[in-house]
Amino acid sequence: MTPETASVTPDVLLAPLDPAYLAEENPARTGLRWSAFLSADVLPRAAALLLEAGWHLEDICGLDVREGLAAVYHFDRMTSPGRLAIRVLMDRAAPVLPSIADIHQGAEWHERETADFYGIVFTGNPNPAPLLLPEGMQGHPLLKDDAARAPLAALLAVPGREDTVLRKAEGFTLLDPAEDAKPAKPAKAKAAATEEGADNA
Amino acid sequence: MHSTETLRSHGTACPATSADGGCTDDQIAGDGYTCRFEQGARPESLILNMGPQHPSTHGVLRVLLELDGEYIVRAEPVLGYLHRMHEKMAEVKTPAQFMPNMGRVDYLHALAWNWAYVGAVEKLAGIEIPERAEYLRVITCELNRISSHLLWWGAYLLDLGAFTPIMYAFDDREMLLDLLQLMTGSRLTYSSFRFGGVYTDAGPAFVQGVRQFIPHLRSRLPMYTALVTENIILRRRIEEVGVIPQDMVTRYGASGPVARGSGIAYDVRRAEPYSVYDRFDYEIPVRHEECSMARYMVRMAEIEQSLRIIEQAIESLPEGEHMHPKAPKPSFKLPAGESYFAVEGARGKIGVWIASDGGKTPYRVKLRAPGFSNLALFAECARGTLLADAVAILGSLDMVIPEIDR
Repeated sequence: MTPETASVTPDVLLAPLDPAYLAEENPARTGLRWSAFLSADVLPRAAALLLEAGWHLEDICGLDVREGLAAVYHFDRMTSPGRLAIRVLMDRAAPVLPSIADIHQGAEWHERETADFYGIVFTGNPNPAPLLLPEGMQGHPLLKDDAARAPLAALLAVPGREDTVLRKAEGFTLLDPAEDAKPAKPAKAKAAATEEGADNA
Repeated sequence: MHSTETLRSHGTACPATSADGGCTDDQIAGDGYTCRFEQGARPESLILNMGPQHPSTHGVLRVLLELDGEYIVRAEPVLGYLHRMHEKMAEVKTPAQFMPNMGRVDYLHALAWNWAYVGAVEKLAGIEIPERAEYLRVITCELNRISSHLLWWGAYLLDLGAFTPIMYAFDDREMLLDLLQLMTGSRLTYSSFRFGGVYTDAGPAFVQGVRQFIPHLRSRLPMYTALVTENIILRRRIEEVGVIPQDMVTRYGASGPVARGSGIAYDVRRAEPYSVYDRFDYEIPVRHEECSMARYMVRMAEIEQSLRIIEQAIESLPEGEHMHPKAPKPSFKLPAGESYFAVEGARGKIGVWIASDGGKTPYRVKLRAPGFSNLALFAECARGTLLADAVAILGSLDMVIPEIDR
């Protein structure tokens, strides 16, 4: 990390990678300072640029939504803190991402955990064995039923978020408010699953 | 390298046989992890399986080690022995129903996890917290941090072969548990924070008890130093052992005393201020030696700093409600949206990310455990050290496996 890169904001840092979407967030509302959508192929380059500028990987969160499978990478900086969420969307039929474990070594376990829970394949992970679930276990516990899947916009583009969109590629519609932003069906399906417990609350 | 598909389909059967240099007839065949680990070993190496029943792995961590004599050539922690799938439970329970889980992720600093979860929910739902409750959260969370550090201190020395210190640590910790019991109703798996406040108000017994405890522990700390910290045997075991350079901290996303023992003054209470921590005068202890002793010294200094915070908070504890009058009922619905809330736990940065579609239960909850990232660097850190050092390094990371496995 050099003094010049330490203060560079992600919108400048990630600009060469042409993010489909990049926004400055209000940390008081979401806990994030920036959020971005990247394509899977530039993920390792983004990881390398971020490491060089002193960012560390906090976690990798899988997410099963109507548009496909997504992964959210949370990065933060120790010198000038502010959280960056990098989101990548994958085709449900072939959920593959390049591993960044050769850049941020801590990613190896986060990737293996995400593979356990969502079945996402991280190509190039140095040890792609199950991390938390038993070997040979069938299925991925955090995948959702068709009826329970919400659109991305219903989770990430809600009114009152107070974010400022800095970049938005032509044709990027993932965060456009869905017609059924609050789908009645998924809520009902989930409510049925927890009815017994919820009534005791 | 194996493809993911092969690894996931062969079950626990050992893929190696004596023919290809794996398990031989006179050895008990290990599981897939052992067999794959053995395949990368040099012929003259010894493969040692440490844990999950080894006392220094605290019951539930397993580490595969390749040894050249007494030196570690390669190490691989094997996780999952205490995995409970908290993140799935979070998706099928309402936020109020999920609270008890937060007492059971990291049972040594349960209130920090309480705080991370209620913080994320409060941020998402815009729930207000009365000032008195903020103070009570700070006081109980810091008391809990001290009890965590005391238990770590005793157990670490037990790992290193010193039996007596844990008796002193538990003596003092017992008083903390009595105090926390008044506020939370439990002695270990606390789940007493509520959305919009805390479960119990502090009575005179608690306030008086905390006031008495502060000078008591302060009077004990010099004895801890004289008895243990300056002990030459301890110092030889942990000084310059388990060196973690700053770039390793960044590459693994380590935090807490592991980062601060390597000279990085990073503490969520300062970096991403929450609650009323900005009202108190305290320091963030940092050491620059980067070794196990540095992490030891950071934790000992943090006990004193937590006492400072508690002292100021108990003396300026405002009157008022411990629950906001408009705090939601347990059956409330989370609004749609996402929120990330981080707190400083005894082991480092705890993060909770909630994504909600406005349904009865959260759509997705991610639990970011500091111990997960801290332990991830063990394999690199332990390379080239002695087997006995592995115990000293593991202990210096202060791992709580239920938090790592979640």
